[in-house]
Amino acid sequence: MSTNCPECEAEITFEEGTEIGEIIVCPDCGVDLEVTSLDPAAVDLAPMEQEDWGE
Amino acid sequence: MAESHNAETLIGLVSQYGPSGEESGAVTWLVERMRSLGFETANIDETGNAVGLIGKGPRQLVLLGHIDTVPGEIPVRLEEIQPGNLVLYGRGSVDAKGPLAAFTDAASQGGQIEGWQLVVIGAIDEERDSIGARGVTGRYNPDYAIIGEPSGWNRVTLGYKGAAWADLMAKRKMSHTASGQESACEAVVSAWNEIAGWVDKYNQDKNRIFEKILLTLRGMHSVDDEFEQNARLSVGGRLPVEFAPDQWYRKIREICDPRNVSTKEKGYPIPAYACDKNSIVVRAFLSAIREQGERPGFVYKTGTADLNIVGPVWRCPMVVYGPGDSSLDHTPDEHISIDEYNRSVAVIKSVIARLTSPSEMDHTQSALS
Repeated sequence: MSTNCPECEAEITFEEGTEIGEIIVCPDCGVDLEVTSLDPAAVDLAPMEQEDWGE
Repeated sequence: MAESHNAETLIGLVSQYGPSGEESGAVTWLVERMRSLGFETANIDETGNAVGLIGKGPRQLVLLGHIDTVPGEIPVRLEEIQPGNLVLYGRGSVDAKGPLAAFTDAASQGGQIEGWQLVVIGAIDEERDSIGARGVTGRYNPDYAIIGEPSGWNRVTLGYKGAAWADLMAKRKMSHTASGQESACEAVVSAWNEIAGWVDKYNQDKNRIFEKILLTLRGMHSVDDEFEQNARLSVGGRLPVEFAPDQWYRKIREICDPRNVSTKEKGYPIPAYACDKNSIVVRAFLSAIREQGERPGFVYKTGTADLNIVGPVWRCPMVVYGPGDSSLDHTPDEHISIDEYNRSVAVIKSVIARLTSPSEMDHTQSALS
């Protein structure tokens, strides 16, 4: 199963045991990607990391 | 169990004003509410927390929210700010009765799940010393945990900074101001300046606030009589994961001792805690938020929460989640959107189903074998 990185279009091949919601790293550009579907294979940019005051 | 997508639990719980130390009315109300929603047992535990159970286990999912609030009663009222957009005002609507009520509704709507026990805890005293969370750390050994604080319905909180407080104290003999001798006030200010300078250097190459030390001066006090001067500064440090409270106290002493400034640790030091962003629990939340048609986000907080207390003990996959805008925490304008609340209930319900599904159990057990 493979798809393309939404950032650099590099080919992303899922390893065996990959799960929906898993965060993987694009081997070419290094961006974090979230696996959103296994069949067909699909990834999206991983959730942005924000910082907040408070509880 | 009856399906309920309204906000009766939220409105009822927020209506029970209960700042830290005065939570008993809210605790009693929540226990009754849990019973009426179909929890198999609901009781007040020996610490004073509200605890509701669904199922027998052996696997365990704990949903831990806090039931106390900061002081400052806000009249509870529902306002329709736009057609169909209801907002609930009230102390704790965001921090953190909203998340706790959402846990209660979502767990009850999912009902019993074969092989699992759902534990919903309304912990007391989070806004002070977290007595409630400290009381439950040894009582449960969850496979997964969700801690209730306002992340916003479409975000997951992955970490909280640590915190440690101390007094810097100096005592000096009275001297003439023209003598050039250092006064007690000058000694503690000089120590403070050196600590601040060291913190600036530590933070220099850190980009994120979560990685930095945040230094605060929380109080100043000095007295003198005919023979002696005394000065005291109360300082606080918000600490990153990489810097434990013990290290912080050592650093302060290293700076203060040579200046003949003494230090005294205050309150409970709390280490920072960060969750694994690739855990089963995080994956379940990301999928559940996308299921609601929204792109999920991650957030790190500069405050502290019960996660800091239970995280290092339970050491299981966990996150912090709950509806509400945390910029409204502790403010006189605290309010929550009912639509956001209901979305978060749907997300939590989906997360519980994902984490407890037989395929997830098979997967986890094969990963552990």
